[in-house]
Amino acid sequence: MLFPESKTVPININTHILPTTKFKTIIITVFIQQILDKELAARTALIPAVLERGTSGCPTYRDLRKRLEELYGAELTADVSKKGEKHVLTFSLEVINDKFVPGEKLLRRGLELLKDVLADPLLENGTFKSSYVEQEKRQLEKEINSLINDKISYALERCIQNMCYSERFGVFKYGAVSDLEKITPETLYQYYVNLLAENPIDIVIVGEVEPEKTYSLVEDIFSFSRSSRLKEIPPAEAKNVPAEIRYFQEKLPVNQGKLNLGYRTNFAYSDDEYLALLFYNGILGGFPHSKLFQNVREKASLAYYVFSRLEKHKGIQLIGSGIDVENYELALEIIEKQVELVRHGEISQEEMENTRIGLINQYKTIGDSPYNLVNFFLDGLVGESAKGLEYYIEGLQSVKKDDVVEIAQKVYLDTVYFLRSPDGEERGETV
Amino acid sequence: MQFKVKENKGLGEKVYHTVLNSGLSLFVLPKQSFSKKYAIFSTRFGSIDNSFFLEGNGEKHLKVPDGVAHFLEHKLFDQEDGNAFDHFAAYGGSPNAYTSFTQTTYLFSCTDFFPENFNLLLDFVQSPYFTEESVAKEQGIIQQEIRMYQDNPDWRVFFNLLESLYSEHPVRNDIAGSVESISFITKDILYTCYNTFYHPSNMAIFVTGDLSPQEVLALVERNMAGKSFSQPENIQRDYPMEQPEVQRKEVSQELSVSQPIINIGFKDTYNYLDGKELLFRDLACELMLELIFGKSESFYNRLYDEEIIDDLFSADYIAECTYGYTLISARTNDPDRLHHEVLMEIEQVRKRGLNEEDFNRHKRKLRGELLRSFNSLEFIANNYLAYKFRGIEFFDIVDLLQDITLEDLEKMLAEHLQEKYHAISVIKPYSG
Repeated sequence: MLFPESKTVPININTHILPTTKFKTIIITVFIQQILDKELAARTALIPAVLERGTSGCPTYRDLRKRLEELYGAELTADVSKKGEKHVLTFSLEVINDKFVPGEKLLRRGLELLKDVLADPLLENGTFKSSYVEQEKRQLEKEINSLINDKISYALERCIQNMCYSERFGVFKYGAVSDLEKITPETLYQYYVNLLAENPIDIVIVGEVEPEKTYSLVEDIFSFSRSSRLKEIPPAEAKNVPAEIRYFQEKLPVNQGKLNLGYRTNFAYSDDEYLALLFYNGILGGFPHSKLFQNVREKASLAYYVFSRLEKHKGIQLIGSGIDVENYELALEIIEKQVELVRHGEISQEEMENTRIGLINQYKTIGDSPYNLVNFFLDGLVGESAKGLEYYIEGLQSVKKDDVVEIAQKVYLDTVYFLRSPDGEERGETV
Repeated sequence: MQFKVKENKGLGEKVYHTVLNSGLSLFVLPKQSFSKKYAIFSTRFGSIDNSFFLEGNGEKHLKVPDGVAHFLEHKLFDQEDGNAFDHFAAYGGSPNAYTSFTQTTYLFSCTDFFPENFNLLLDFVQSPYFTEESVAKEQGIIQQEIRMYQDNPDWRVFFNLLESLYSEHPVRNDIAGSVESISFITKDILYTCYNTFYHPSNMAIFVTGDLSPQEVLALVERNMAGKSFSQPENIQRDYPMEQPEVQRKEVSQELSVSQPIINIGFKDTYNYLDGKELLFRDLACELMLELIFGKSESFYNRLYDEEIIDDLFSADYIAECTYGYTLISARTNDPDRLHHEVLMEIEQVRKRGLNEEDFNRHKRKLRGELLRSFNSLEFIANNYLAYKFRGIEFFDIVDLLQDITLEDLEKMLAEHLQEKYHAISVIKPYSG
């Protein structure tokens, strides 16, 4: 079991504690789940930014930062992430274990501060402070626009947006600039009050702590009012067989083209077949020994990077590579050839075993990083699949080649997206 | 072979060190309860080492193409019997490598089969195998790596700045070189560089994870038993004389970005520093920058409220033996205003002085951050050797940090952050 200790505190917040002596810090993370939705995304994304500006006890950002520095540089992060078709608000605070700084009560102080950020924001006339909201709206607008600065991420996101244009998964985690304008401090505050009262909240604590004491500490500190009936956040739809393959291109003055392919795997994170899906992705493009790296990079010398990865909660696999524009056809052909090979069962024993040991290795090391542990826990929460690390480490032992080939039959290419410089042949519908 | 043990109670860590007959340094930091084992094998050969004297012979000077250290890093993975990546794959090891300005580091992490993976690391780094054909193949891959970075605004703004700050020092060149410079790299150049910089006496190994120092040493000794090494030579690197003045005050480039990105650099004026002296300067400058530009200070908060900067704003000091500088980085719609504000703030702070209370708070924060970073095996290993190569005992940071006084910061403030030794680099969105 990954999280043997789990309890629901009176105000309907699930608290999960993982005691471990590995780390010099204690990491407290609060997750609030919301549906990922075009209408709500920008509002949801704005919440962490506004909350991080100040609490009633530390009314300015400067006060808050000073407070954190006094707590030996406690690290506060507040952000949103996209997990399948759920939008997760994440607030996290990392404090030094008190044993390294005798006489301090950093865990208690940290929990109090985190609770204040969440439940005791600075208010002005009963609502969020309007200058904070307006400033953060413009900062979020800049953040949304800045996606283009990182061409690898930009191309991946644009591939997803075009592929899932009619699905909730196509919504960007920070929402759209056009949705920011209509947000007011009042509407935002009302939205947050409901979110805090009615949406599922989980607290995860990792570090050298005594579970019983820590539960009472959480119970003691997290005492705001919550609804007894919580909203249900629907999981993502992972089943989808595309009617045709769609080709898109986007022109920007870039030195290197970014080729992205989006596939529908038709398997969800909670499916038993997920283990075989991990193999499928690993054999194709998860490792340096994978077919894509070996053939696109090592043999054809077309790219520095080429990978495949899973959007595990949506059943999507993405392949990405940076290539010269004139090598588009060749790269596409080599990539599709590798997919075809797996589908026809052309998987060597060595590829199977190397992938197996590589994947098991990944799961074994999750516990060595507190943030990876917390993220693994969140995946289980969001994917409604409460399986511990052991499930994966053991389950991966027995996956066979036939299982992988069976997965491959259900994987369909949906979208090809190419970010490229303006000159040269056309490659698909321009977006 | 005996280990020297260095313990730091404040950090709760112990590191074991020994030097083998070949001159190779071995460090082991046991971390019980971790599943992961992490090992790095590093040489003091980075992108700035492109001009040196062969075999200590003062007569034979060699200038190699830019990007050769990085190219060599790529090429070492190619072995006579295939790619080293493939060999690790059988034992679940994840190998990688990186080249910085001053060193090249080969590494892997694994959970099982540590001895097998470790042997592979030691073997491939010590078995150069270059052919004209494989060099040509790698040129294609590295060209794509260079093109990838040409589209990366954070990378471009930074290297444009270094090119402006420095006139002669090779830190002004991109680590990977250029598409042109790498076309001049041949297998003979690679062998020459390998023979010069990959002698065990110029290298070090750092291993961490749930392992005993003795078992790691036994593995190294067994691996090295069949190998013979020439006498260590004193490598003479040839760094050109760099004047304190900057090459040019300002540089800008257009890329497809959403808003301008600015880097402001202040060149430090020393010619060579290492050991405690360098570490001291590093820490004092870091603290000083925190006190002026930190997120709890008035400068940051005023400009954030005015929407001149966002939370990506940062100010850091970089301390290497042969060069040092302060780097201020931001995304801003008004680079001129920010540039002006930074210069004004430094002037103001010089007038009003630094505050004791702020100083103590930032010191606390730095101590906490240091402790926190010891959660990561990679952080420990990579930093330990990077400091070691500058003559610094990494664990000393904790104590030295305590020793630094406000007066030390004020001395640095008087000396460094000189307006006449600064330059700016801006990336702007395409006009028109």
